Amino acid sequence: MSKPGPGYYPGFHTLDQKKFWDAATRQVILERVHNVPEIRFFKPEQARLMEAVCARILPQDDRGEAHKIPIVPWIDERLFTDRHDGYRFEDMPPDREAYQLGLRGIEEIARHLHGKGFCDIGIDEQDRILETLHDARPPAAPEIWKQLPIHRFWMLLVQDCITVYYSHPWAWDEIGFGGPAYPRAYMRLERGEPEPWEKDEKRHEWTAPGSSLSEKFTHVAGQAEHRGGPQGGTH
Amino acid sequence: MQRIETPMRRFADGEEVDYAIVGVGAGGGVLLQRLARAGFRVIGFDAGPFWDTERDWVSDETGSHKLYWNDKRITGGQDPLALGANNSGKGVGGGTVHWASFTPRFHPSDFQTDTLDGVGADWPLTYWDLKPYYELMEKELPVSGPYFPWGDPHSYPYGPHPMGGVGDVLIHGCTKLGLGVSAGGPVAILSGSRADRPHCIYRGFCIQGCKVGAKASTLITHVPDALANGAEIRAHSMVSRVHVGKGGLGKNRRVTGVSYFDAEGREHFQKAKAVVVAGYAIETPRLLLNSGLANSNGQVGRYLMAQAGNVVLGRFEELIRMYKAPPAHALTEHFYETDPKRGFARGFAVQTVGPLPIAFAKQLMTAKGAWGWGLRRLMMDYNHWAALGLLGEILPNAENRVTLAGEKDQFGLPVAKVTFNLYDNDKKLIEYGKQKVMDIMWAAGAKEVVQEARYAHLVGGARMGRDPGESVTDQFGRTHEIANLFICDGSLMPTQGSANPGLTIMALAARIADYMIAQGDGIFTSDRRAMEPPAMRRDLSPPDTWGHGMPTV
Repeated sequence: MSKPGPGYYPGFHTLDQKKFWDAATRQVILERVHNVPEIRFFKPEQARLMEAVCARILPQDDRGEAHKIPIVPWIDERLFTDRHDGYRFEDMPPDREAYQLGLRGIEEIARHLHGKGFCDIGIDEQDRILETLHDARPPAAPEIWKQLPIHRFWMLLVQDCITVYYSHPWAWDEIGFGGPAYPRAYMRLERGEPEPWEKDEKRHEWTAPGSSLSEKFTHVAGQAEHRGGPQGGTH
Repeated sequence: MQRIETPMRRFADGEEVDYAIVGVGAGGGVLLQRLARAGFRVIGFDAGPFWDTERDWVSDETGSHKLYWNDKRITGGQDPLALGANNSGKGVGGGTVHWASFTPRFHPSDFQTDTLDGVGADWPLTYWDLKPYYELMEKELPVSGPYFPWGDPHSYPYGPHPMGGVGDVLIHGCTKLGLGVSAGGPVAILSGSRADRPHCIYRGFCIQGCKVGAKASTLITHVPDALANGAEIRAHSMVSRVHVGKGGLGKNRRVTGVSYFDAEGREHFQKAKAVVVAGYAIETPRLLLNSGLANSNGQVGRYLMAQAGNVVLGRFEELIRMYKAPPAHALTEHFYETDPKRGFARGFAVQTVGPLPIAFAKQLMTAKGAWGWGLRRLMMDYNHWAALGLLGEILPNAENRVTLAGEKDQFGLPVAKVTFNLYDNDKKLIEYGKQKVMDIMWAAGAKEVVQEARYAHLVGGARMGRDPGESVTDQFGRTHEIANLFICDGSLMPTQGSANPGLTIMALAARIADYMIAQGDGIFTSDRRAMEPPAMRRDLSPPDTWGHGMPTV
């Protein structure tokens, strides 16, 4: 872990603090880092498509191969074990079905626009296709989006990617999140000051490598409809 | 760190108990403890596990998924509610395991919104009936915080917590705008150690379950004392039906016990002289509907409420690091009461929120439409953002409700369908309230402010009331229809104010317990309904409640 990762906190590695974490927390996090599951839910061609899609939803071209955070295996694991969040919107199919349909929809859009599969077009074209999901304006596969509200599928997909990426300690290093602090505690609560074992921020100009269409995202289409989207607790 | 050394009683199969309580959360946990202390034979059923907090809980967002009610439910209507982690716990302690633990009292006006504002419904009791129980619960949990100036002003047994970055933002913003602010509480988090519970260590994972033991949950505040007094907790036991029979009292129907599925999926029957349903605002109506009970007037499942919980995110030039300190640590209730000038009834609170990375990234996804490189870049500024939450009163409406869906769960039981719509007053309140929270964020010096629409909490669905035609229970949680069937949880609430419901659920539970204890065996042997409020019992608190701090007003 010597290579500096992305983000403004060079040299910060939450995993270096693991000896200060409680045993149960340490086990859960190390398991996540070292025991990436095999693909069991997606068929091989679906897994390949998922890899291409997730590589645009949370691109990692700025990370060295050894430090890319695996996303698809954990979404696969969730779907294989049929673990969900305790509710389903009345207009949505169950998650497994939603993924099967949604992947078909993405592939159909790619073929409609480019005559090729999603995996076989350039990343700019891929971004543009995903943007049609984000905007809820799919240029193809209307029969699929009739069964699968496209804005809800987009939220589901992005939410799943977020859950996996930002649960990884390398992502915590990137954003300067201190991570677990039991039983040790946080001492410096105000003014954003770092603990002695945290790093202060060192900002620098940062440009997204490769395609940057997704840098200029806009509000999701039909914002009002999204009330009650994927949400954990707050206050 | 939780340590429960007491060996637990186990009632034999076929043995009749006095009370079967379904759900050991905020309401069920307090009630179980009191009934046990008063000498009743009582079992608390919970569909989830009896947590070993050191072994089962982690300082990790994803690793805490099991704390929530993740079984199948359908959500719909024009403004569907997110369930699961947002508002539904599973396992002993229930929602108090994952609450942020803000514990403001309701205001006196909350108990009579119909009389005062011509909206909502009056409660069958007043603030003054509940006040002694608020004071009692604030000592039992206990609550930390500064002097509280709104509603019925009061102070707290434990001192306020130190500020974190988000609390400072709320203080700066409110002060700039001339709004009062309560900093460092009220929260049910220990600011100093008490007995074998340690003080807060500000690790920020409150809603992932407090491994420290500083944040109150009935799992650590009331359940240990319940066990020490002979209660049984039957964990991993999903109650599927409340049974009725004649019960030897003439033509009136009486409940006789509950059926439940154990961890292996085997169905059992537990005989009980009385049953208390305490499964919260969705599972309580669901169990009553699945049992076909207490619903001859069609009121079960109706008047379900969630509070407007819009989260306002502000980006600051300086660092905030909102993962430190409890998410719940400062609030203002300046806008709580009705102001006719605003053009809508009732009001709202503004509270600190401290989303951890996954929650925050999802908020950016909905608030800004962020994805791809844009999301990665925004998230690299995680430590520059602060989050404040609106907590706004949404009025009860009969069409916001829990019904049974056609689909079944893993036990073959019809699942709950939740239908939710916002109405005119709600929409106006949210629009106005959200703007005020954004004003506070700007006034605090934010350079960018965005917001995400969402809801917080659940209450209602089996409301109490004076009119048996318009409600499910009386003011003591006793169902109008069956004299030995009670409800004791948030589903009782006829309105919800703009306060987090946990403390009020517990206060109601302690009052219901006093009623049951005062009635004694009468509940088991008679259909007569005494309506005299009970005298408050101060001798039923868990050990270590008294002799710690003396709030002065």
